[in-house]
Amino acid sequence: MKAAITVHKPRDEVRRLWSTSGYRPDYIEDSDASVEFKDAPGDRGTEIYVDIGDPTGGRLGAVVRGLFGGAALPKVKDDLRRFKQHVETGEIPRSDGSPEGERAERKLKQRPAQPLEQSELEKAAVR
Amino acid sequence: MRATVWSGRNTVQVENVPDPKILNDRDAIVRITSTAICGSDLHLYDGYVPTVKKGDILGHEFMGEVVETGRGVSNLKAGDRVVVPFPIACGNCWSCEHELYALCENSNPNAHLAEKMFGHATAGIFGYSHLTGGYAGGQSEYARVPFADVGPIKIEDDLTDEQVLFLSDIFPTGFMGAEFCEISGGESIAVFGAGPVGQFAIASAVLLGAEQVIAIDQYDYRLQMAVNQAGATDVINFGEDASIVEQLKELTGGRGPDAVIDAVGMEATHGHGLLHTYDRVKQATRSESDRGHALRDAILACRPGGIVSVIGVYGGLMDKFPTGAFMNKGLTMKTGQCHVHRYAKRLYEHIRNGDIDPSFVVTHRVGLDVAPDAYETFKHKQDECVKVVLKP
Repeated sequence: MKAAITVHKPRDEVRRLWSTSGYRPDYIEDSDASVEFKDAPGDRGTEIYVDIGDPTGGRLGAVVRGLFGGAALPKVKDDLRRFKQHVETGEIPRSDGSPEGERAERKLKQRPAQPLEQSELEKAAVR
Repeated sequence: MRATVWSGRNTVQVENVPDPKILNDRDAIVRITSTAICGSDLHLYDGYVPTVKKGDILGHEFMGEVVETGRGVSNLKAGDRVVVPFPIACGNCWSCEHELYALCENSNPNAHLAEKMFGHATAGIFGYSHLTGGYAGGQSEYARVPFADVGPIKIEDDLTDEQVLFLSDIFPTGFMGAEFCEISGGESIAVFGAGPVGQFAIASAVLLGAEQVIAIDQYDYRLQMAVNQAGATDVINFGEDASIVEQLKELTGGRGPDAVIDAVGMEATHGHGLLHTYDRVKQATRSESDRGHALRDAILACRPGGIVSVIGVYGGLMDKFPTGAFMNKGLTMKTGQCHVHRYAKRLYEHIRNGDIDPSFVVTHRVGLDVAPDAYETFKHKQDECVKVVLKP
């Protein structure tokens, strides 16, 4: 099984940023998962594929589960989305409900959509 | 600051909440001078949109004065007067570069939620559930505006707030609905719903050159506004048993309108006996989220080969979609949340030139603190309410 995302930038730039500190998707890179970069059709940029093995079973699946822990796919997807956001916009968009930006852990634990208290701002690593 | 928060079905309260702060370099903070309640806020108010949470600040139509900007915002400075588009768009992704701002690929930090519901994530929207990002809304004294270097429309003349406020949503939304109809001159267009968006869809269809524009609603005062202010040529006030489809054919020589605009959405109030009861029961028991009479009738009424333009908001699933009529009549459907940024400059020019004064829809002006009463007045169409503007 593969997780995929398209980044609206040329392939050489995407590859370079992928391994640049600050942009590097740590969760994926620390797992040794195989990552493939392809030119996307037309003007769309670069496709990134991360092979997460067979999460439902099999020997490879077991290895992958060991590498990624229980929630491999959601965490890989977070990493991919945050990388895309950072490369395309220069920042990780934050909302009041998800002040740290895209995080699978926030799925069931949304903050109310109202501004953060000072203590929460520090926790969310703002400034 | 004071803000209007959702606190359960059919309940909003004005509460004290923390002031918003700059969280990212491309943010700005705006002190809100005018904000409005949108018909689509009622879908949240009524509890039909999933992922709305207690404490969420509502409101996606607002304008005001910039008070602070992040380091990445060079086009705005403190003191600038701005109208803020309701979709949050980064301006950098493929969708934004193709002017599909309401489909921005980056501005929704809850993509995992949206993908579950819709297959893909769409743009973040202010004050519009966690499915669209969990952003605090603008029915409040201040708001944080992400990607402020892309969205806000600078107002640099002495037009009043009420003349420009609706550039945030309902004027461009109505305009997009009319633009979908591919009007080249001489068409018959039917607009379902003469609420604020319907009024602007009618006015825009006229502006684009439609010859006949038929307004459909159940309130005479709205239909009068449609004729006197927006420029509708015909009206249909549907009674309990009246068939809108038959009346539309009668008004168009049996052809049916060339295009139909659904400016109603998921809480259609009319319907035909049994089917209406079926929808009410299914929606009340939460096994169908969208009551679809308006869309069903729009499809049945549209002339063969015509266009169905859907700008009314839907949230989930609808039963009894007339696929047979839709397919066999060879209809085209165009839909979407409005790509406000695409239309803002052009429509601002129309306002400046005096082609249209959008303030005609405003019927109620009240302070922010009475927002709870204003929601009730608007929801129940009391006091001939069409549009409420809140002044923080």
